[in-house]
Amino acid sequence: MVVLENSAFLTALTLMYQKARLQGSVRVTLKRYDGRKKPIPRVEPSNKEEPEYSCIFRATLGSKKISTIVTADLLSEFQTNFSSTIRSNMDGLKKQKKSKGKRKSKAMATQ
Amino acid sequence: MTFIKSWEDFEKAAEKLYLANPMKVRYTMKYRHVDGALVLKFTDDAVCLQYRTEVQQDMKKIDRFMTNLMRHMVSSDK
Repeated sequence: MVVLENSAFLTALTLMYQKARLQGSVRVTLKRYDGRKKPIPRVEPSNKEEPEYSCIFRATLGSKKISTIVTADLLSEFQTNFSSTIRSNMDGLKKQKKSKGKRKSKAMATQ
Repeated sequence: MTFIKSWEDFEKAAEKLYLANPMKVRYTMKYRHVDGALVLKFTDDAVCLQYRTEVQQDMKKIDRFMTNLMRHMVSSDK
């Protein structure tokens, strides 16, 4: 597992999406992370500090794996860049037909 | 595991699951360009919620949901 800087992660993620255009699927996982690098001790010490939470992002394509840790102060910047990355790369989805929605809402109104 | 049909149900169930144990849950999205499909998964290893979409308009909702989720994750409260 390669831990990357936030911006390097997004660049690598974009490359993954481009590679997956022909075949394969990209999986992105998001999880809360408390900064723990060691397993949880059996007896938790009493002078436990309040952990500082961040998020960990992982992405896989086939056997290639990348990850990044996003801290609270960098979150809003990362979030903006991340959402534009996925929006521009997940462009194989279908556009919904407007008429269908209209018909549906009409049907709802008559009920 | 079956897919949840409505986005609202998925969102609500995911929120509930997250609040029950924030450290345990993970959220995965799998995108297949070849099939033009996006599969979301939200699990704490006991309960598994899945949602599948092929529609572009869902991206907006998913984006909002993810932003929300990230904010919750970095905030210090339990």
